[in-house]
Amino acid sequence: MKELLKLELPLLKSEFMTTVRLATGGVCSAAGLGLDDSEDCKVCVTESLLLVMHAGYRAAAIAFSAEEENLFISVKASHWEETEGGMSEDEISEALLNALARGVLIEREDGRAAGVKFYFSK
Amino acid sequence: MQEAELFEKYRESGDIALRNEIVEKYLYIAAMIAGKFAGRGVEYDDLYQVASLALVKGVERFDPAKGVKFSTFITPTITGEIKNYFRDHSRVVHLPRQINELRTSIRKAAEELTVERGHNPTAREIAERLGVSEEDVLSCAEAGGVVSLDRNVSEEDGMTYHELIAAADDSLEDFENRDVVRSVLAGLSGAERKLLKYRYGEELSQTETAKRLGVSQMYVSRLERKVLEKLRKTLGKVMSE
Repeated sequence: MKELLKLELPLLKSEFMTTVRLATGGVCSAAGLGLDDSEDCKVCVTESLLLVMHAGYRAAAIAFSAEEENLFISVKASHWEETEGGMSEDEISEALLNALARGVLIEREDGRAAGVKFYFSK
Repeated sequence: MQEAELFEKYRESGDIALRNEIVEKYLYIAAMIAGKFAGRGVEYDDLYQVASLALVKGVERFDPAKGVKFSTFITPTITGEIKNYFRDHSRVVHLPRQINELRTSIRKAAEELTVERGHNPTAREIAERLGVSEEDVLSCAEAGGVVSLDRNVSEEDGMTYHELIAAADDSLEDFENRDVVRSVLAGLSGAERKLLKYRYGEELSQTETAKRLGVSQMYVSRLERKVLEKLRKTLGKVMSE
């Protein structure tokens, strides 16, 4: 497995989403993904971050790695704080992830989304 | 009324008014998903319409007895319809034009904002002024990068963009006064003249020229720009005299 890029970001506000989307687009391009898959990948990364953010996590690390024809993405949340609970939109985020990406795995800690893994194929 | 109850009632009665009520209740999902796909070369309103139609079809097909929540069922349905729409309305033709238009708008907005605010505007300021996303502004800046004619068309074959452009055989002969060119060339250094000979006489690529001169391709690129600028200035001066 070849590591391509790692990003760590605070999730207090969504101000770094643009940065993440641009970086994701760059990695997808470098990994040889088509334009549509790259756009889908950007949506999936953003949705993953929103999921863990709504679950109360205040930071996240995104890792992009490649193996053969696949681009693997892992979003791992950290710095949890008590919140009022998830949002109704989270179900849609999860369904959207499953509709767009392959092998979606949502990791949970005490029932809340703490990490998301998925991959895209060339 | 609970979700399952609502759908069961509709399935039993087939009442269009009830179907419309359900559609309105879940229209926010269509709006939300359409929003996620905005900025890909298709207007949000079009996406929202596609998503809404998919929602209507989904409401008609949904069976609560299968034990799946409606939001879980409808999201892939709407997503699939949107992706089909993208496929059918390929943006291959439209996107470059949109990017081009946006680039022009960005340049104009940047100039206006610089004058108004007295500083170089940020991507966010430009995005706010144009009513587009910050990402669009940043991506556009990337998309408009100059592509070297010496870049290979694909990794597989070594053909460059330069080689694909039809050559004008009589380009140099078109100069009425060759003496002018000669005198201008005389003002160049040995290395500069060699560069012109390789690049425009023998039509070598920058990489090949670099090998001949024993320097890097980057150096050739910089030197070529400098030489051409020098020639342009000198020729302009000579021609105006």
